[in-house]
Amino acid sequence: MEGRCAVEIWTEFGFSGTPFTTKLKTGLGTDVFLCTGSDEVYVFNTEERKFTARMAFTVSTYHLCCPGINFESTFSVFTVIVLVHEWSVIHCYTANMTLHLSRIQSSSSPAELKISSECLVVGEEGALSLLLIGSVLLILSYRDASWLLSLYKTPKETQSSIYKKLSSFSLPLVSGVVNGDSKLKTGVRRRPVLICVHSGHTTSPPLSSTSSAEATLTASHFHLEPVLFKLLFGIDTALINSPVVLCGLPDGRLCFLPLRLPGSQLRFLHNLEQPIVFVGASVTMETDPGHAQCLVVVGELGRVVLIRKNKGGPEAGCSAAGFTDGCLPGPVVCSCVDKKHLYYSTGSDLLVLDLTKGPSESEVQERDEETSLKLAAALQSPTSLNVCRIIDLAEPTHSTTGEIQLLGLSVRGQLQRITLPLGREDARLSELPSTQMGRNVKDLLSAIGDVCERASVLKTSIKSKNQILRHLNQVLNISFLLTASTNNEEHLSVQEKPIRCHAMARWSRLLQKDSLSLTCVLDNSSPYVLEQGWTLSITVFPLSYSLSAGGESSSTSFSFPLHNFHPGETLEVSLPLAAGGGTSFPMTVNCSLIFSLKNVLGEEELVGFTGLQSNCISLPLNTLVVDWLHALQVNSPTASRKNTTSQSDVKTDAIRAFLRSHQIRYSAGGESVINQEKEQYSASVWVSSELLKDTLKLKSSDVDQPGSKSVHQSICICLLDWLFSEGHGGVKTGYQEDKFALSSSVVCAQGPEGETVKLTVKKANVGEQSLAKEEPLATVEVRVESTSLAAVCGLHHAVLSRVQTLLQRAPERAACTKRVQNLGLRQALQRAEVSSEHLLNQTKTERTRKSPLFSNGSFSNTVLNKE
Amino acid sequence: MSNKTCQPISLLGKWVQENNELVNKWKLQEIGGNTSIPGQNQTCLRGWSSEFNKLLRKIQGVPPLADHTQLELSVLYNACVCAISQSQFTEAELLLLQSTERALQMTGNNTLASDPNVFWREVLKSVGNTALNVCIVHLLCLQWAIWLATCQLNMINDSQMDLSSLFETLGDGLGNNRRSESSEIPLLLMDTRKLVELLQICTLIAQGAERLSEGQSSEALTGLQAALSLAAPRNLIAYIHLLSGSCLAQMGRPQMALQCYRNALETDSQCVCALYQSMLIYRLLGNTQAEIEALRLLHSTLILTSATESALSSVQLLSPSLLLPSQSLSSLLSVPSALSVLHELAMRCVLHGRVSEGVEHYLDLLATLHSEDQHGVKAEVPLLPRLPELYLEAGAALLMSRLPADCMVLCDEVISKTLELLPEKLILEHQEERGESETRDVNDSVAVLLWAGAAYLLQGQCYAHLKDWKQAVTHYTRCINLVVKVCFKKRVTGFQSQISSADMVVKNGTDLCILKKLKGLSLAGRGISFTQTDKLKEALRDLQLSVQTSPECVGAGLWCGEVLWRLGRRQEAAACWEKTWSFNKESSFEVLPLYLQEALSGPLLDTMELRQRVQGLGLT
Repeated sequence: MEGRCAVEIWTEFGFSGTPFTTKLKTGLGTDVFLCTGSDEVYVFNTEERKFTARMAFTVSTYHLCCPGINFESTFSVFTVIVLVHEWSVIHCYTANMTLHLSRIQSSSSPAELKISSECLVVGEEGALSLLLIGSVLLILSYRDASWLLSLYKTPKETQSSIYKKLSSFSLPLVSGVVNGDSKLKTGVRRRPVLICVHSGHTTSPPLSSTSSAEATLTASHFHLEPVLFKLLFGIDTALINSPVVLCGLPDGRLCFLPLRLPGSQLRFLHNLEQPIVFVGASVTMETDPGHAQCLVVVGELGRVVLIRKNKGGPEAGCSAAGFTDGCLPGPVVCSCVDKKHLYYSTGSDLLVLDLTKGPSESEVQERDEETSLKLAAALQSPTSLNVCRIIDLAEPTHSTTGEIQLLGLSVRGQLQRITLPLGREDARLSELPSTQMGRNVKDLLSAIGDVCERASVLKTSIKSKNQILRHLNQVLNISFLLTASTNNEEHLSVQEKPIRCHAMARWSRLLQKDSLSLTCVLDNSSPYVLEQGWTLSITVFPLSYSLSAGGESSSTSFSFPLHNFHPGETLEVSLPLAAGGGTSFPMTVNCSLIFSLKNVLGEEELVGFTGLQSNCISLPLNTLVVDWLHALQVNSPTASRKNTTSQSDVKTDAIRAFLRSHQIRYSAGGESVINQEKEQYSASVWVSSELLKDTLKLKSSDVDQPGSKSVHQSICICLLDWLFSEGHGGVKTGYQEDKFALSSSVVCAQGPEGETVKLTVKKANVGEQSLAKEEPLATVEVRVESTSLAAVCGLHHAVLSRVQTLLQRAPERAACTKRVQNLGLRQALQRAEVSSEHLLNQTKTERTRKSPLFSNGSFSNTVLNKE
Repeated sequence: MSNKTCQPISLLGKWVQENNELVNKWKLQEIGGNTSIPGQNQTCLRGWSSEFNKLLRKIQGVPPLADHTQLELSVLYNACVCAISQSQFTEAELLLLQSTERALQMTGNNTLASDPNVFWREVLKSVGNTALNVCIVHLLCLQWAIWLATCQLNMINDSQMDLSSLFETLGDGLGNNRRSESSEIPLLLMDTRKLVELLQICTLIAQGAERLSEGQSSEALTGLQAALSLAAPRNLIAYIHLLSGSCLAQMGRPQMALQCYRNALETDSQCVCALYQSMLIYRLLGNTQAEIEALRLLHSTLILTSATESALSSVQLLSPSLLLPSQSLSSLLSVPSALSVLHELAMRCVLHGRVSEGVEHYLDLLATLHSEDQHGVKAEVPLLPRLPELYLEAGAALLMSRLPADCMVLCDEVISKTLELLPEKLILEHQEERGESETRDVNDSVAVLLWAGAAYLLQGQCYAHLKDWKQAVTHYTRCINLVVKVCFKKRVTGFQSQISSADMVVKNGTDLCILKKLKGLSLAGRGISFTQTDKLKEALRDLQLSVQTSPECVGAGLWCGEVLWRLGRRQEAAACWEKTWSFNKESSFEVLPLYLQEALSGPLLDTMELRQRVQGLGLT
């Protein structure tokens, strides 16, 4: 039975509060005030268990920030803090509610009160907390990096509403306790605690009994044992019986101000080094019931300081104030004390700590270390009451049967009465009557309900956390998979990556405009599902310009979000490459997978990870190259003929066929003109036919070629076919789909900007030109001809780079001899690359001058040969 | 406003309208005195400031145009007035200089000096006699105000010529400013003529105070006399009288100074500092009656003003207090709080023989301290003594006016509060000087011990007064027991040694001195009480110890002789008396607290009779 208590939900509000804006305050007699943090305040009567009033703040330019309530029996003043938009400063306005309240009491149904600006009596900038002591209203505000405690005299007669400012005390903010930039936020977030401490007994009449306001004192007022009071606040304060204001500041300082002492100032008492949540007095002795023996200060992170009187040793003689530190488990959301216990809520549980269990007075003097250890042990074992999500507590009350009842406000806006089990130790011994049993069962059920609710909340939380973990694990697996393959085996070809992209370049005609589009296909051959949050990002930029210093070249990025991309699936996306020219080839296409943490963690959780520079993980997949050969629009007559004959091809629709034929006719006409006049530039590449046989044979064997052709012819066509059809650099050309087979060794095509190019593949012997000691080599010459210099350069480069891959693919046995070739080829390739760039630049300026180097029409003939 | 009259309102017209609306709103508020909500004024000011700044930024958003200059400068003036009123001097000055520079770009004068004095001279020269001149002069006034408020009197002195030429300009231009109420003219927040007048008088006051603090009284006086001819608010005229009085006092002419203070009071009855200063002069002159009278007046005035002052707080731009921040002036203008004055009054009364009056004042003081309405005022310059001391003083006063029962109540209060805090043993480190600035600890154990001791001493004296000798002895003994708990430790370079109190060089006013006096008085009191109960042996021991501890204690010496006489040691008695009489009664009167006065010690011996006895002894 231990630790179980009855929770009775009295009422429920439709709001979810936060610990800093919602407030619960006991007011006059049986009234409880509830501030929701919005523009409404409720008054709840605990005896009738119903709302007696609702106050709505409908001040035109004001917004309710956080109301604080204060009560004194004779003149009930209700105060609120509101945010004022007038000059964009925070203000405190105090509404004097005396008249309104008397009206509430008389009516039976909940009264609706509208609070207008007439009720506002004090404007205090940056106000955070309030306290009413007698006829003095204290407002603690934060302004210009210092705390300011202002004292106002409340009017005696209710007619006049002038609050006279008596004085104010300021205390500069200390930085360093809470780290710098968050300070400003927390300064406002966590409100300072203001309480009032009186000396001596509650019953002791004040020296001057002019005011009757001290008859009953409420939550924020405590009576402290006179000696401790004297020790802490001085003899002067004790002599004139002055109440002392204690401020627990969010920067961890505990300060005090004797209210009536002339020349007094805010003085430092203790530093808790964490925001102070609660200050109160507890531990009353049976022998001395009027006042508390111990001052309790609780910090946000669970630090507790107990301030008691220490009896001095035999040599010191006099007593001194003893500060004992301890640490409670868990954060403290809110707290309250009764005569012997400290109650506090961690947000997930309500705990109670017996303050009398700590080291006794006589023990304190003996050994400091021992007592602090003892205290630490005592503080570490608070009793759980199994009530969750309490964000504010009202003062505990003792019912007539001696039970302790707490009034709590849950985060969901439930007003709960928590009845603590009666005398936890001796409850077990006493025989319970049947009615009590029934009640106990009810309590038990209620407690079970509470635990059940708590459990369900925790379950959903765990579930979502698990989900996130699983998701993150998947992400981690994928990133490992992708990064491992790049790191460990750099030479590994593109094909090896389990998730990769391949593409297809294709010309299409849209709105009378030819455009080259690239269709990328993402292939997931990994065992993992790419879940929501992954994005495929494709960046396209020109190969040649990416290296140049300018860097102004247009790189375009496309991103495609993925939705549960399962293993084995493919995703096809299309993106425009060039629309009618203006793009320079070859182009590099970078594919990468990007994962954004935002999808998993959510915005506010991400803020916590200060270490993260960005919220994204980027995993490069592979790089594709779209070169001139991909960008060609082939219009060889053989191809068209083939096209028309093979009607079985379903994919070629009539319009496209028509367009193509039309195009051919047009370009064919143009070609003849060019042939006569302008076909000036050409470039050639010689490839050893033996090498081609070695490498292409394997490839061409599966191509259905009529065997009647001669070997050389077949090699030539094979090479041409290979050049066009094979997926070089991960990119295929569109005509591969059309399955056209090249019958002749000459291909006429159009470049991306409409230039006419001609590719000729023929057999040639270069042996004569080469050194005489080797037998003449049978080679195949690939010749590129065009009127456009750019086209020749580009195609030359494209052909060279393909041939290089061919060389790489050459059988192992030839590797020793071909390494040299390889080297030569690479050099040639580089030369071609540089020269094409160089030439492009030069020709732009020199074309008009007609440089003699280019006027002869043939500028390059790279010989690929065995040296 | 008049949107319908001028169909397409130009940007300029709109801005002028906006400015004028703001100014009119302000004026309305000023008249209305919307001050029922404390804390509102400063916020309002902030609001106005931001409004004017917004407007100024709007205007400055377009490149400087000749048409806009007047408006821009007027809005600048208004914005700066708000800023200065909020004590944002550096911001105001920066705004002033930058905006003036910008506005003047159209006059073609782009390179302006960085030195403010040269800057303004150049600005004035460049505008010449154009319509802008008046605007610039207004702005110069604000610069002047900033200098004044930031105590840069040298800057004002340097540009004295320019400033004096301002008045003429303004004298002419004043008509222009108010010539019409048309909405075309941008209005100003503060009347410039009033501002100049205020600045003039404040400058003179500040200069006077500065010179006074430098000791150049006669020069200060001539300057101040010149200022008297100026038109100024009443309280500032009173300041001039006050300053003149202080100059005269410094020059050694107290009577003339008193006359000046009187003038100040006649000009402004709220000028309490004049009253305070005259009280100080009376004290200097040794005129106790007048001093007490002045204190009484001061106290009643302070109570009255504190009741009325806060109700009168109004929204005022550029108040004199803002323009007169100088340290020397504020020290002159500062007046102790009503409580301190009351304490002073009570103590003076008691010390100067008006005991019953003094008791009244003490009781008033205690009642005020206990009242609900008393609230901690900020630390004042002459601090009130610690409250236990106040209690003891009041107790002593009560005892002097033969009210021992009441005295005992007060002492009981002190004893009960100090009871648990008394140390078993205390080591008093002898410090050559105890700095006044030393922060008073909440519970200084030495002080606590001394308070408790003094309370017991007073109680003993009360019982002696009631002729309850047994009780008296008990209380004196308690006091002695407390006092002997203190050990002395003298700090000698290198090592510390404990020495007896007799070897110490005693300085007046220190804890040590008080302790010795306490010891002497309590021993003497106990000795006298023993004498009364015919325990002559004990009496002699105590009295001799007392004389040893504090030789200046006359009563102890005389009673010591008396006891010796009674014991039949007549020669010794005579010697003792002679010694006591010969002891130079240099009064340590002022320094010791009221409750350690010897007059309370108990039954007195008739000196004449003793002298006769000595003479008789000599004859025989």
